[in-house]
Amino acid sequence: MATFSTEVFSNEFLAEGATDVHAIVQVECSGAGTAGGGTGRAAAEIVIIDTSGSMTGEKLAAAKRAASVAVDQIVDGTWFAVIGGSHLAHRIFPYPNARLAMVPMESGARAEAQRAIAAVRATGGTAMSTWLDLAEETFAAAPTTQRHAILLTDGKNESEPVDQLRQVLARVEGSFQCDARGVGQNWVVSELRSIASTLLGEVALIADPADLAADFEAVMRASMARGVPDVRMRVWTPQGARLLFVRRVAPTVEDLTPKAVTVSELIREIDTGDWGDEERDYHVAVRVPSRPVGTEQLAARFQVVVGGEVQASGLVKARWSSDAHLTARISPEVAHYTGQAELAEAIQEGLAAKAAGDEGTATLRLGRAVQLAHETGNDEATSKLRKVVEVDDEERGTVRLRREATRLDEMALDTASTKTSRVRR
Amino acid sequence: MSPQTNPETDPAESSGGNADPDVTSAGPTPEPDATESDEPGSGTSEPDPSFADTGISTGAQSGEPDETEPADAAEVPVDCPSCGATVPAVTFCEECGARLDEEPDDTLTPVRGMPLPCPQCGCTSFADGYCDQCGGRAPQPRDHLEEAPTAWVAGVCDRGVTHTRNEDSQAMVASTEPGRFAALVVCDGVSSVPRSDEASQAAARAAVTVLGPPRAAFSETSGEAPATSEPDWAVLLVAAARAGNDAVAQVAGPAELSGHNCPSCTFVAAVVDSGRIAAASVGDSRAYWLPDSGTASALTTDDSWAQEMIAAGMTREQAERAPQAHAITRWLGPDAPPVDPPVTFCEPDGPGWLCVCSDGLWNYCSEADDLSRLVHEQATAHGDDPLDTARALVDWVNARGGRDNVTVVLARLGSPTR
Repeated sequence: MATFSTEVFSNEFLAEGATDVHAIVQVECSGAGTAGGGTGRAAAEIVIIDTSGSMTGEKLAAAKRAASVAVDQIVDGTWFAVIGGSHLAHRIFPYPNARLAMVPMESGARAEAQRAIAAVRATGGTAMSTWLDLAEETFAAAPTTQRHAILLTDGKNESEPVDQLRQVLARVEGSFQCDARGVGQNWVVSELRSIASTLLGEVALIADPADLAADFEAVMRASMARGVPDVRMRVWTPQGARLLFVRRVAPTVEDLTPKAVTVSELIREIDTGDWGDEERDYHVAVRVPSRPVGTEQLAARFQVVVGGEVQASGLVKARWSSDAHLTARISPEVAHYTGQAELAEAIQEGLAAKAAGDEGTATLRLGRAVQLAHETGNDEATSKLRKVVEVDDEERGTVRLRREATRLDEMALDTASTKTSRVRR
Repeated sequence: MSPQTNPETDPAESSGGNADPDVTSAGPTPEPDATESDEPGSGTSEPDPSFADTGISTGAQSGEPDETEPADAAEVPVDCPSCGATVPAVTFCEECGARLDEEPDDTLTPVRGMPLPCPQCGCTSFADGYCDQCGGRAPQPRDHLEEAPTAWVAGVCDRGVTHTRNEDSQAMVASTEPGRFAALVVCDGVSSVPRSDEASQAAARAAVTVLGPPRAAFSETSGEAPATSEPDWAVLLVAAARAGNDAVAQVAGPAELSGHNCPSCTFVAAVVDSGRIAAASVGDSRAYWLPDSGTASALTTDDSWAQEMIAAGMTREQAERAPQAHAITRWLGPDAPPVDPPVTFCEPDGPGWLCVCSDGLWNYCSEADDLSRLVHEQATAHGDDPLDTARALVDWVNARGGRDNVTVVLARLGSPTR
């Protein structure tokens, strides 16, 4: 049986007249078990690989190997399918003429699926909305709501209007989870990020096709270990308060405020998808009406809800005090993750400015990123930044743009920009 | 009469009997049970150590002082583990610290089990200790506690305005007969360390148990036979401080004992024995004798930075206004320096008020004469009723900002109460 626990970090002391309460809520899940296990229902997995013409050669071979490895990882009994995508989407397995769109995994089905994957040929353009459409349709054939897909592409979504992908994403949001992988340097980070972010997945760059199989294996293993489906974060705020934002800050930064669904006047819920044994951190900011010094109140209640049942609760309190020693303190956790969120923003803005030819803004923003990565001890961001900029002074954030920086370096930095380091204790 | 400090002096010898004809006498001898055993209706000539038979009551009572029947205090008697005397079981609510042997009184305390409405929005639904609607803290019984064991003794212990928690505690016992016996204890939890609210509560209860009637009525050496000598308050007040200190140590967890963040509190206790007063304190909670006429005096001396500065020549006003004024130099707690307080004796020569309080009160009125004026003003306005007067004093403090928890325990001496 999975158990959730929460821990709240904040400085609950507010100065007279202060209204804003910030807290980091760490949510930990343990004993999650296996996807589909324990719930009495199986899980469903779809592997989506790019089969457009540009994949021909080494990349297609690597993608087929990766898909095959992924199929190996899918636990027996899990409903599964393999989809190939170009400007159109088609089912690779079960074969297009099969009666069922998805079948439960077992050794015969696994071998047959791998045979079908081996026979895939690359041709056509890229229209990812059709891939997601078919995935949704296919998932509907499986009698389960725990649905996960992995999507791999090597190129830009060029065979359809930009709006098409956006519309389809809005439609399929909530019906399945999807991790997105880009291989090579010709795909667009923001496109895959929007897919992954809408569908509660992660985006990653695989620079070398040879690394695909290992990555797919890891993604599929993680998905199979998510034994707790449909986990929601419920945020209660008091009457008269305003939820400024809810942000996931670890393992990656993402603003969840737009995803918060209003349940009642005081309660919002955010779908966080399926959970394995893991820890995710959230930054909650609430604006409450100021109260007299000495007053204590609950500024937010952060709850983990599974199947309508509250599994864990974290209380965010506010206490107004005239003691400046108490009110001036900043919670180290809040400070750390505020810095990490700004770091992600600085990297993305800096790279966007660079792509637009605005070298002044790019230098300034990437310089700020270097400074923040240094301050918050995000070594991965620091090493990726150093491939894009020459660092003159880490503490002050003085940098010069590297002329020799490759597109892959920039994409690697962009993709990893939302990854956060844990707060140092 | 000015107080004298002499821990070595036996109060019985130093007082030499009741010097004030206005103070209601306890009887031919100053020993409480000796008089009570002669009361009609006590049903026995044998001394009975129960509170009821000694005329000592710990709960709010409205009846005539002398009408106390043994049956009225029908608590299940228990044997005192330290002295062996049979005493009524006095228990406290683990939640709010209220005494459970009191008659429920709607005007004093909320009816238990009924949630108080949220003071901010009036909603009565709470989760996790907070209002479901506005998030306001659910009202805590401990935010405001009142006790009135007899008509002449009462205490009010209040959270104040700017503190979120009440870390003060009070405990008291008193005879029904005015002026004969009372033990008043106030402890103020040190707010910079954890669980000082528990510390103050534990200390106050432990101390009042030492000072309470079973010990007062019997000699230290024998729990069985009535004592022939008077209780030695110089010894008992020190014992009460030590008992409070031990109780605070019980509150501290192993982690706190090893660190420098032990639960701690102050201590002040005053005993009225046949109209005479003995008092002692550790820290900066105080006892005052405030006569209706004549010079008021503080019966205790603070153990504080401010007091050290005053001793060194600074004016009281200057010293008490300094930011470090409230740093106390002695306290109760596992990390405390020796706690034995000096004991002060006072023999009132006229009617007046004994006031035992935390700094929440004297912060706003420190000089004994000023406090005396204030207390008498409020007492006059409230018909000399101790509970109404203590309430009024707490309201007075809170109207001025209530910067700290405030506890005021009053005993009216030397005049019959109505």
